[in-house]
Amino acid sequence: MGRDGKCERFERLIVPHLDAAYDLARWLVRDPAVAQEAVQEAYLRAYRFFDSFHGGDGRAWVLAIVRNACFTALDREPPRATFEAFDEECHADTPNGLPPPEEVAMAREAQALVRDAVAGLPEEFREAIVLRELHGLSYKEIAAVTDAPIGTVMSRLARGRTALARRLGAPERKK
Amino acid sequence: MTALTCAQARPLVQAYVDGELDTAASLALERHLARCEACRAEHGTLRRLRAAVGAGLTAEPAPAALRRAIGRRLRAERERARPWRLRTRALVAVPAAILVAAAALALAPIAYERLAPGGAEKIVYHVNETTDPATALRNIANHVQSAPGLKAVVVAHNNGIDFLLAGARDKDGEPFAVRVAALKSQGVDFRVCGNTLARREIDPRRVIPAAKLVPSGVAEIGRLQAKEGYAYMRL
Ligand SMILES: [Zn+2]
Repeated sequence: MGRDGKCERFERLIVPHLDAAYDLARWLVRDPAVAQEAVQEAYLRAYRFFDSFHGGDGRAWVLAIVRNACFTALDREPPRATFEAFDEECHADTPNGLPPPEEVAMAREAQALVRDAVAGLPEEFREAIVLRELHGLSYKEIAAVTDAPIGTVMSRLARGRTALARRLGAPERKK
Repeated sequence: MTALTCAQARPLVQAYVDGELDTAASLALERHLARCEACRAEHGTLRRLRAAVGAGLTAEPAPAALRRAIGRRLRAERERARPWRLRTRALVAVPAAILVAAAALALAPIAYERLAPGGAEKIVYHVNETTDPATALRNIANHVQSAPGLKAVVVAHNNGIDFLLAGARDKDGEPFAVRVAALKSQGVDFRVCGNTLARREIDPRRVIPAAKLVPSGVAEIGRLQAKEGYAYMRL
């Protein structure tokens, strides 16, 4: 009974987040085969440690495991959650030269542009942006997944967005 | 409440755009935005950036092979973890082969198959003049998120088609086309009633390219339900 209950709960609470898990892995490790392997490892690990999941947000819980599995697959340490001040500096200089969104977003090449811009972000900004914009996680959930204080999450989002706005907003100005 | 200065307002703008500010702080910021052009510009830039990034990024669903592989590994893990059951059953002398088959059946990962394409949920959303398109798009996006593999078709007729015309914007001045494109990239189909266009004398070229024309919206809704097994939802 206990095990069947565990199995059923795992199917209900954790398995539905597989798409998000795979997508996050793709953004972190890029190579699809490595991403698949990392997600398999993560789900097996999640199942083994499922007794330590005490309800709450199953998505944040499993994404944190996936994230760690990704850095293991890359043979690297996850980005350190050192204290980063939530300073104003990183808010003050968002460039203003963005074209209207329908022009940015509708064109197919613009989509590729956005993807490339996000893919080119430093890891800690990239994962914060992907979790927020693609998967709609709250600051609190992103903090749980990336094991960082909320202030750090906000600062990473702000800096990531500033970098994205620069890349997307004024490509012609670079020349 | 004292008014916010720019220095106090700026760090709040991002949290506001992300929907992370409480009501009191939101109200204070809104008051500041109403009278400060610089902060308002910052707010607009962030919103446009979010819209562009949201439309440009599409989540890549887990491949079916990955689902199967995880299903296999979890099953193996469960069987490894419950030798006691095999032993108990062995006492009543059931042939081992049947036991293994029975165990495999009992443990079949139903949820994976349910999530896999093929057994996908199908739904047709009906949008007409009584629908608030902004709310409808938000509800559809939530539904798509919570039901992987969902096959969704939006059929618009009467004044419900207006949000699918070029240049249509919501109350906040944000274009609908961006959200429609984002949903379309997640597999949501948008169909516009041709009868409505004819009746209202709207040039079909005004319909955004992301949406398809069908001869009759009502007939399309009927066809999807009767012939293709779609569930109906009025938005
Ligand atoms: Zn201001």
